[in-house]
Amino acid sequence: MSLVHPDARLRDAATGELVGGADLAARVAAEAVLLRDLPPGVLFLRVGVDVPSVLRYLGALEAGRAVALLDPGQDHAVLAELVGRFRPAAVLGALSEPLGGYSAEGVRLSPEGVAPHPDLAVLLPTSGSTGNPKFVKLSRQALHANAVAIADVLGIGPDEVAPTSLPLHYSYGMSVLNSHLVRGATVLLEGSGVVARPFWDAVERYGATSLAGVPYHYEMLRRLRFDPAKYPSLRTLTQAGGKLRTELVAEFDEKMRAVGGRMFVMYGQTEAAPRMATVPAERLAEKLGSAGPALPGGSFAIRVDSGAETTDPDVVGEVVYRGPNVMMGYASAEEELVEGDSLGGVLATGDLGYLDADGYLFITGRLKRIGKVFGNRVNLDDLEQLVKHLGPAAAVPAGDKVVVFLDGGDRETCKAAAKALAESLHLHVTGFDVRPADGFPLLPSGKIDYRSLEERV
Amino acid sequence: MSIENRLRTVFVEALQLDDDVDVENLKYRDIDAWDSVGHMALVAAIEDEFDVQFETEQVIDMSSFKVAVDMLRGFGVGE
Repeated sequence: MSLVHPDARLRDAATGELVGGADLAARVAAEAVLLRDLPPGVLFLRVGVDVPSVLRYLGALEAGRAVALLDPGQDHAVLAELVGRFRPAAVLGALSEPLGGYSAEGVRLSPEGVAPHPDLAVLLPTSGSTGNPKFVKLSRQALHANAVAIADVLGIGPDEVAPTSLPLHYSYGMSVLNSHLVRGATVLLEGSGVVARPFWDAVERYGATSLAGVPYHYEMLRRLRFDPAKYPSLRTLTQAGGKLRTELVAEFDEKMRAVGGRMFVMYGQTEAAPRMATVPAERLAEKLGSAGPALPGGSFAIRVDSGAETTDPDVVGEVVYRGPNVMMGYASAEEELVEGDSLGGVLATGDLGYLDADGYLFITGRLKRIGKVFGNRVNLDDLEQLVKHLGPAAAVPAGDKVVVFLDGGDRETCKAAAKALAESLHLHVTGFDVRPADGFPLLPSGKIDYRSLEERV
Repeated sequence: MSIENRLRTVFVEALQLDDDVDVENLKYRDIDAWDSVGHMALVAAIEDEFDVQFETEQVIDMSSFKVAVDMLRGFGVGE
């Protein structure tokens, strides 16, 4: 059950180098040897969009070492706090500052550590959650099952070439990598993003066949007047990471079908490794607004207020997913890495939605106080905590951004608050629209009336 | 006001730059604020300020402050 098919290849867009076959296997094995010898504990990998980072990741999987994938640009203080709580065996990837208790190479000086559960393969931070960031624990089996299911529904074969339009510490970016490697396809590593010339040069030169994006990528592609006719190899678009406006779904679906291509709208959460649903491209036009049916091997049910579950059409409630790709659970400290599966393949998503008569899921809202910033999930209560030194705050979701009302704020403190949020979450500052407020509307209970604040947005 | 000065103001506001940033020598992805998200905010702000519309190729070629200045000159934007 290897995640890497013997024919899988990695292409470095900057140098043109292609790593595949026996060469790839040997380089992954060499990484695995190094990682096996590290002291017990989880590995922290600051994973860049480059071949050495991917080799390390694959080496960790091969060595059976649980590896947490982290944003290489993460604020040092946030990293240091995580290191303190999880005591990783090593922090891999260049460090901006030394870490106490670790060598210059990032290896923990103390040999004493806790060995993670043997099923545990990958840990991903719950995106954006900052008050007490925790990891989603994904087993080897969940990772593999999801990679195969994605490859099945997207029809990924050995001739596919997927460029890295998303970071690899982001669950969607990781799943693009996994689902191509598992089918012996090529992953094209290019880190400059869809608005830059090197990315599109690489798409042309190396014949990229697909493009993965979150809603803001599609807003960018529209602004760029993306024309698939200019890129004859590029015939598949995938979209996840939040709900894309239906008029944009329709527009890109038409564009792709006009050139014989396909557009896939998908739904997932990091907690499901991450994919749960995909709308088949041929049904997208008739199912606009849907997240799709569950992936092969998975199923959806709707949990209503009584706690009972139903698959009857048009009943709104919490979306519950069952499948082999559901996480083992969360870990918020080192000792929780030892624990095995606590969910039994059942994920209460916290999303509200309903199924239609064909079993297609439609998401209508969220149970929890969660927002999305450029596709990254953020806990709205955490945002308020992060800026409380500047004043009482109330955060509400606003499409691909969040709006934070700052009581007694002025232009300067609002700007400082947006900056503080951007820095601690390492998301772009324009994702945080901080506005001055003069008190907050309250509910009879005395709690903040978020619904009326959302209406102000 | 010169194109450079107007453009510097647009950069500072669109990317919310600190005072100590060397804007004239800035290149795409030199700093966190000028990532792909920042780039689109920047392009929109430049278009507003100078009343121009960039072509797709120009948007993806706008890799530095200096390139942006040259593009604006190409539009015939006056000093």
